[in-house]
Amino acid sequence: MARVQIDGDTLVVVIEGLDKLWALKSRLTIPLSNVRGATHDPGVIMESKGVRAPGTHVPGVITAGSFHLDGERVFWDVQNPAKAVVIELADERYARLVVQVDDPRATVALIEGAVFRA
Amino acid sequence: MGRPRGFDETEVVRAAAALFAHRAYDGVSIDDLVAHLGVHRNSLYKTFGSKRGLYMAALRWHVENQARPLIAAIGEARDFAEAAHRALAVHGDGSALDLLLMAAVERAPADPEVAAEVTAVLDALDEALAADDGAPAPGPAGTLTSALLGLRLRARTTSSGAGPE
Repeated sequence: MARVQIDGDTLVVVIEGLDKLWALKSRLTIPLSNVRGATHDPGVIMESKGVRAPGTHVPGVITAGSFHLDGERVFWDVQNPAKAVVIELADERYARLVVQVDDPRATVALIEGAVFRA
Repeated sequence: MGRPRGFDETEVVRAAAALFAHRAYDGVSIDDLVAHLGVHRNSLYKTFGSKRGLYMAALRWHVENQARPLIAAIGEARDFAEAAHRALAVHGDGSALDLLLMAAVERAPADPEVAAEVTAVLDALDEALAADDGAPAPGPAGTLTSALLGLRLRARTTSSGAGPE
């Protein structure tokens, strides 16, 4: 599970609980100018994840850590796909983040409100 | 950037507009988009950034290619009756206004960028209807636009509700 918050001009993704261990990461900070959008996407779990390096992948149980696919690096932290949110990035180490959050709708609204505020 | 996307972006946006117009924003999942548009999920995210990004592209496509031409036709109508006839006849089922209607109801209250797009089209519609000859518009400005949208809303209610496919 991840906690997503906005801190000034920065998107902060905090990996919580044991997921820190599986994902080998506890915190990601991304300038909002490098965030292209966020989408609630329960179906994303069915996508091929690519090659894990490093992280944990037990299909159907947990997908966590860095995965390489088609020349892109994607960060995953998902156990319950119903609550998966895809955050698309630009000019970052990760092309996108796929994280499980408590309230996907609120998280998407939070990110889009911060990125697209006039 | 330099790399070809491997799909026709305009065609994808057009198909997305039809999907959103019939099923609304919340009723269309990424799974639906991937299945109906024939685009890989990763390409979708890479190209449009998010579902909202694709929706904005679809809404702008709808405005430029469906709503604006309709407004031009309405501006040339002799009176409201003819304007209404043109509005409801376009594309056979009058769907030229549907994504706009859906956006006004569903997304505009929550998304300022959508609200701005919708407002601009409604203003243009006001102007086009005011330019029609015939009796002066009844009631406050925008009455004719509201009547036109209301007619389309009712037409949608009584139509078979067939989807884009």
